[in-house]
Amino acid sequence: MLWAALLPDSLPDDPQRRTEALDGLATWCLQFTPRVAVLEALLQCPAVVMEMEQSLRLFGGKRRLVERVREESRDLGVRQLSWAPTSLAALAVARAGLSNGFAKPLAQLLDALPLETLTQVATHQATLARLGCRTLGQVRALPRGGLSRRFDSQLLATLDQVYGLRPETYPWAQLPETFHAKLELMARVEHAPAILFGARRLVLQMAGWLMARRSGVTAFTLRWCHDAMRSKSAGDGGELTVRTAQATRDTEHLIRLLAEHLDKVELLAPVGDLELLATEVQSLEEKSFSMLPEARQSGESLALVLERIAARLGPDRVLRPVILEDHRMEWMCRWRPAPEPAPRARSCMVEVPQPTFILAKPLRLATQNNRPLYQGVLQLLAGPHRVEGGWWDRTTQSEEGERVGEGKGKGEGAPAPASPETTRHSARDYWVAVSEHAGVLWIFQMRLAKEETAWFLHGTFA
Amino acid sequence: MAISLLWADGENTPPVPQSFTPSGVAQRWPVGLPHAVEAAIWRGDALGSPVASTLGTGFEALDAELPGNGWPCQSLTEVLQVQPSVLEWRLLAPAMRVVVAQGKQIVVVGPPKAPHLPGLRHLGLDERQLVWVNADKPVERLWATEQLIRANAAGMLVSWLPQARQEQIRRLQVCAQSCDGPVILCRPESAAHEASAAPLRLQARLGVDWELHVHLLKRKGPPHEGELRLPSIPGGLETVLTPRLRYPSRLIAARQCRELSHAVGSPSSRQPSGRPAAAH
Repeated sequence: MLWAALLPDSLPDDPQRRTEALDGLATWCLQFTPRVAVLEALLQCPAVVMEMEQSLRLFGGKRRLVERVREESRDLGVRQLSWAPTSLAALAVARAGLSNGFAKPLAQLLDALPLETLTQVATHQATLARLGCRTLGQVRALPRGGLSRRFDSQLLATLDQVYGLRPETYPWAQLPETFHAKLELMARVEHAPAILFGARRLVLQMAGWLMARRSGVTAFTLRWCHDAMRSKSAGDGGELTVRTAQATRDTEHLIRLLAEHLDKVELLAPVGDLELLATEVQSLEEKSFSMLPEARQSGESLALVLERIAARLGPDRVLRPVILEDHRMEWMCRWRPAPEPAPRARSCMVEVPQPTFILAKPLRLATQNNRPLYQGVLQLLAGPHRVEGGWWDRTTQSEEGERVGEGKGKGEGAPAPASPETTRHSARDYWVAVSEHAGVLWIFQMRLAKEETAWFLHGTFA
Repeated sequence: MAISLLWADGENTPPVPQSFTPSGVAQRWPVGLPHAVEAAIWRGDALGSPVASTLGTGFEALDAELPGNGWPCQSLTEVLQVQPSVLEWRLLAPAMRVVVAQGKQIVVVGPPKAPHLPGLRHLGLDERQLVWVNADKPVERLWATEQLIRANAAGMLVSWLPQARQEQIRRLQVCAQSCDGPVILCRPESAAHEASAAPLRLQARLGVDWELHVHLLKRKGPPHEGELRLPSIPGGLETVLTPRLRYPSRLIAARQCRELSHAVGSPSSRQPSGRPAAAH
């Protein structure tokens, strides 16, 4: 049996909060094994113990499992992590400040430990000390009959359990159906990014919970409560919901996403408490490892990194195209945020030549002898290609409204609702033009008011 | 070197050259080397062998000049141009087509204008395999580029970095060594005067007659002299080009000639001769 005992650091004194904190730690432990128990929750030095013998193979061997538990438990605020063949022995070893209970034969190791390491023995410490007992070994050397008569049955039972002579029974910790965890910060935090330090612990717990439930999260909410010394206008606190496109329980990714979002948050008052909720949870399919060595996928997937970039730059800056069935250049292609699912139907291909870069708004070109100028005189090559229509495409967009307003010479900025309904009708003759400096261009000629025509640059064949 | 060797051979020991049978390699090396040694020796005039894999550029003339015959993966490639958005897609599209065919994604960071998908489709790209990261500020461009390189998730990454500094490029190059796809940085011509950590740098400019003129500014191997002329017609235009339009430079020259004669010969008797030409 491989038992681990975890002694958490700096628990709150309030019994309810104390239980919650221990349950949080137990939830994290449940990802490794279902045999997790909280010991002596309300006493001086509580602990969480778990038995991991059966999980060794799943987590890649004893060494890797121990490494992982040690790494992650440090972030969770575990003061002492110890290993031993029985749960109480692990606890005693942990309280004595040692970590490896396998260093010597168990009896030899335990005999040297002081009485305070076991609560049931420590209650009789005064009497035992007068008998001349200072270590567990000395207590065990006393005659069993006398011990059971003079002290309560607990003492002997505990001693037997520690040395592995009697089975241990525990009420196992249950995995909660939903995840919410609270954390009281060590110090008041005034800047949002500094919350991350505390939030990391909660995210780790959540990752443990997700792992135990074999699921991933698509949305989670971080709430913070301002402390009591806030101004009235600041309110109670705030919350931030982070969404991911794919269900995940990758701690590093979740924390990076949270960091990007927290960068934009401005706290109205110092924060005292944090709370984390897993709001949308989906079951996650496990990928089994291949027996054969395969091409190693280093790094993260594209969706994850795009999500992170979108979190910093804004969702409308990471874009994927959608082809629309329109013959007018501006509405041939629409860009939508990358995480949105792609439309199923593939639209048909346009056969006419099309540029590869387009300008957001056509650029009016100067002319010389009726020839368009753009970094020199342009040589028209192929054309005209007539694009006309769009009377069905009604819009009341302010941009269009402005253009209509300009055309009529009325400059007073009409608000968008008041602008008249118009259509995106266009009648243009497109040409392929070439310039020695600017390359191959896609320009069009359009008729303006008063029998005037004008040339516009709309794209480049780059 | 070959001449001096022959001369030395001829003067000292006439029978030796016959026993050596000097043909090709043996002419340059007085002692015949074992094959394994021969293969391991890198000569100064040969192209450097790339450590990483490469991706064919789709232009044979360019492939022949590049170490590894293609765009290098796991390192940066700089494309320098006088002005942006003139020839990027035309230069890179043949390689992109290969990437797309493998089902990988192409990510472009901060292009100077909006990519237009119908045009890109003519080049063989697919809308499901293109991502546009619209980053404006230099810091954002650099950050997004670095994140994408580190993630090593894109099949090909094209980034426009007009204002990147030397040390920033160096940093990207270090990251790129663990990235499996080619990373192309589009930078202005002025960057040619700065040192750069990118192992491959090329200057590209447009030839009017449907050509790309490429000069390799830096590569692993001997310096590149002259310019490569790569034929390139933008996607979709092949169908509309008539034989007359194959050489726009002639049209431009003819027009300039007309204008010149028009301007210079206006007071003299050349004007009437210029007019009929303009009328035709």
